[in-house]
Amino acid sequence: MKRAIWFVGIVAAIATCTWVVGWWMVPVVAGIYGFVRRGDAATPLLAGLAGLVAWGVLLAFSAAGAPAGSVSDAVGRAMRVGPGPLMALTLIYPALLAASAAALVKALVRPTAGAQS
Amino acid sequence: MRMGRVINGSIAGVALLGALYVGLVATGPVPPLGRLLDPAHGVWAAARVAELPREQSLRLEGLSAPVDVRFDDRGVPHIFAKTELDAARALGWVHARDRLFQMELTARKVSGTLSEVAGPPLLSTDRQSRERGLAHAAEQRWAALPQDSPTRAVVTAYIEGINQWVRDAGEADLPVEYKLLGVSPRIFQAQDVYYLLGEMSQTLAWQSEELQRGAIEQLIGVAATEALFPRNAPIQEPIEPVAGRTAPRFAAVDFPAPQLPDARAVAAAKRMDATRVRVSSGPTLDDATRTAGDLTRGEAVVGSNNWAVAPARSASGHALLSGDPHLQLTLPSIWYEAHVVVEGQSDVYGVSLPLSPIIPIGFNRDVAWTATNTGADVMDFYRETVDDSTSPTRYRVDGEWRGLAQRVEVFHGKLGEVLATDTLRNTHRGPLMRTPDGWLSMRWTALEPSDEPTAYLKAIRAKTAEEWYAAMDGYKAPAQNYLVADRSGTIGIRSTGRFPVRPGDGRGDRIFDGSTSASDWIGDWPVAKYPQALRPAQGYLASNNQQPLDPAVRPEYLGWDWPTPWRAMRINEILRGDAAMTPEKMRLAQTDPTSVLTARVLGAVRAALTARDAQVTAADRDALAFLEAWDERFDVESKGPVLYEALLAEITRRTWDELAEPGQSARMATPNSMMLVRLFDEPASVWWDDRSTTDVAETRDAILHASLRGAWERVRTERGNDPAAWRWGDLRQANIRHLLQLPGFGRESLEVQAGPGTLSPSDGRGMNGASWRFVVELGDSVTAWGTYPGGQSGNPVSSRYTDRLELWRKGELSPLRLPRTAADLSGAALSSALVLSPYPEGAR
Repeated sequence: MKRAIWFVGIVAAIATCTWVVGWWMVPVVAGIYGFVRRGDAATPLLAGLAGLVAWGVLLAFSAAGAPAGSVSDAVGRAMRVGPGPLMALTLIYPALLAASAAALVKALVRPTAGAQS
Repeated sequence: MRMGRVINGSIAGVALLGALYVGLVATGPVPPLGRLLDPAHGVWAAARVAELPREQSLRLEGLSAPVDVRFDDRGVPHIFAKTELDAARALGWVHARDRLFQMELTARKVSGTLSEVAGPPLLSTDRQSRERGLAHAAEQRWAALPQDSPTRAVVTAYIEGINQWVRDAGEADLPVEYKLLGVSPRIFQAQDVYYLLGEMSQTLAWQSEELQRGAIEQLIGVAATEALFPRNAPIQEPIEPVAGRTAPRFAAVDFPAPQLPDARAVAAAKRMDATRVRVSSGPTLDDATRTAGDLTRGEAVVGSNNWAVAPARSASGHALLSGDPHLQLTLPSIWYEAHVVVEGQSDVYGVSLPLSPIIPIGFNRDVAWTATNTGADVMDFYRETVDDSTSPTRYRVDGEWRGLAQRVEVFHGKLGEVLATDTLRNTHRGPLMRTPDGWLSMRWTALEPSDEPTAYLKAIRAKTAEEWYAAMDGYKAPAQNYLVADRSGTIGIRSTGRFPVRPGDGRGDRIFDGSTSASDWIGDWPVAKYPQALRPAQGYLASNNQQPLDPAVRPEYLGWDWPTPWRAMRINEILRGDAAMTPEKMRLAQTDPTSVLTARVLGAVRAALTARDAQVTAADRDALAFLEAWDERFDVESKGPVLYEALLAEITRRTWDELAEPGQSARMATPNSMMLVRLFDEPASVWWDDRSTTDVAETRDAILHASLRGAWERVRTERGNDPAAWRWGDLRQANIRHLLQLPGFGRESLEVQAGPGTLSPSDGRGMNGASWRFVVELGDSVTAWGTYPGGQSGNPVSSRYTDRLELWRKGELSPLRLPRTAADLSGAALSSALVLSPYPEGAR
């Protein structure tokens, strides 16, 4: 339960910080999460998932102005990668940033007792 | 355990560094991914800003009073301002919101700074741009404008409007192209407006064909070159009407035999070809030059039309005007529709060019105006004698050395690094360019002092056609055939621009001797001598890029190698034959699917087969019967044009084989179809002979017969044996590409009603066409209809990016809304209301 609450919180934090500041806040937030939750073996995985979900939510919000399909189609073709890969890349990229940042911090910092979920 | 952490940490560190690296740094053509993919600020944000907000209220610096901007249901802004400067500021802001990247690209293209956003691949384009000197000339024009000039104030306000949008825009608001390139918008400068006008001259008035002419003369001889690429069109349907003439004039043409080519002389002359001219210390100009510099302008690429009828020849008793300028088709469109009302001063509607506050084509409450390109010869080249063949500092004129004006141009890359440095030189004539055989200087009206914005800004206030032309007296370049109609029923046309007077025989179709000042221009045509007509007795006027003056009446040199007259002949045929024109008939004529060329070609082929009856096979008869059954319309569902176009290509290929160098199949140049039609009258001309057959001398009929047979076989091979399955729409399509040629942002393979010689011609690539079509009826009030290919928004995911495309493709027009006040535009007609207000005193 605690892990789920943390997950929701980190999704919200990544989404908000990306919206307000920019993309590079993803590893910063995930790194903090990795530090705080360093005792949990699933932290990197959850951080990656949170990055993916957070950007997915933002994508859905951005798409309110025009169908997301029209953006991915037009921009995907313009970038010569196609709409599917563009969408996938947009979701995988924050996942990679967040998971690697959380994993790095977790590896660098000695776990403390009682940090398990 | 510890080792495991080290390994995990190392892997995570490498992954994070890699992800951060591609997020922050461009890798090859891929921009930094972080900014690009960020769903809040990157490319995905394009969706959030795709549509106009229903209502918006903003502060705009420098306004003297609030400005109401009402966007109608077609996305057209109707700007209601108290002063001209407020209107210009608001238009700049609106242009920036809808077309910022297009403006950036235009400014960078002319100023030769594309490599600052796209890197070294565009360095050669930049060097070419700066070497031509348009940006330099634009800067001088801006600097020459008096400080207290009203035009200076308008241009400044307009640019400040753009820059305020740029400054206030968040990352999410920026056009998606910036994110794909990984760059930020520039701050615009007042001279950018003049860059844009330079770009128009580059598109419409770059006439360097004489550089190619020398090679043609070496290939086929001077006399034959004169005949095939003549100074005067042999079929005359001029812009300035000839009193009492009710049909085109066909002049006799002598076709001297081609000389035997001297391969070495041809090779030497080809070195002077425009594509081989080099910048002072840079690369060879690329193929971009060729598009504008090719001999035989506009078999299809050139295609602008305009026409007007006086009240006596319209069903309503009002003057009617039709505008149909053809240009390269792009997305977003070159035009941006706008209606600008300055309380008590002006009320103008039309198409603006993003990056300028002027409306070059449009109408006010009394007068309508539109243009086609004149295509006059306003550019000359001079062979210069210089003091040093690699790095000259002086050139010789009349036996004396004169110093070359020099300036150093530095080219930067995306990170500000220096990519190249060129020393550019000018003679008193213009830019000096290096060729393999020496140095050429260029004189071009587009590089000389002029002030087009002032002329345009005055013209929009005209109440009559005469006032409109008087306002445009100072207009120099690019020369345009301006057609005007007013509510009093006056119609007029004038080829407006600076036309140089040359010494000697007055011709400019050669390279001049630069060592003598006797080669220099000796003056300009006075305005009274421009090709023109006002209230013509015939009751109608038209221009279609054809030779403006019939040399039988006015032999002055204005240019050479004129475009074909087919469009002019067709529209004059329509206008002569109908004394009750309506706006709907005007609209239909814009995409009229017939060509006066077709009957001439088919008639000649039919006669040839009749004369060669003994050699005609059953397949030949099938081919001819197929063409005979065709109604000569170039509709998308038509089948006849599929064979007809192949036939025309075969005739051209077989007839003009002498224009290919021995042993080569590609022609150095191709006479236009007007010359082919005139050659039809010479059945035994040596030009019909096929050089590849040495044992027989072919005649006209043999070539036309062989062409039909060849075309029939070719089309059946390529399209199948069942002609019922052939469709013109499968062949002739418009391809409208994005400004950066990005595939997802363009629209290709649009079937259009167009054909060779029709009023809406389309070249094989489909990249040129009607850039804006409109019809205006000047009655008690003004009523207008129009459209252009694309939409008002430059955002590729906006519903207004291509919302007009289907209408345009079908040749239809939308009624244009003309509210007199902001309150007149409401309900369903209103899509967005924007109020721009000044900052309170002391704020900002």
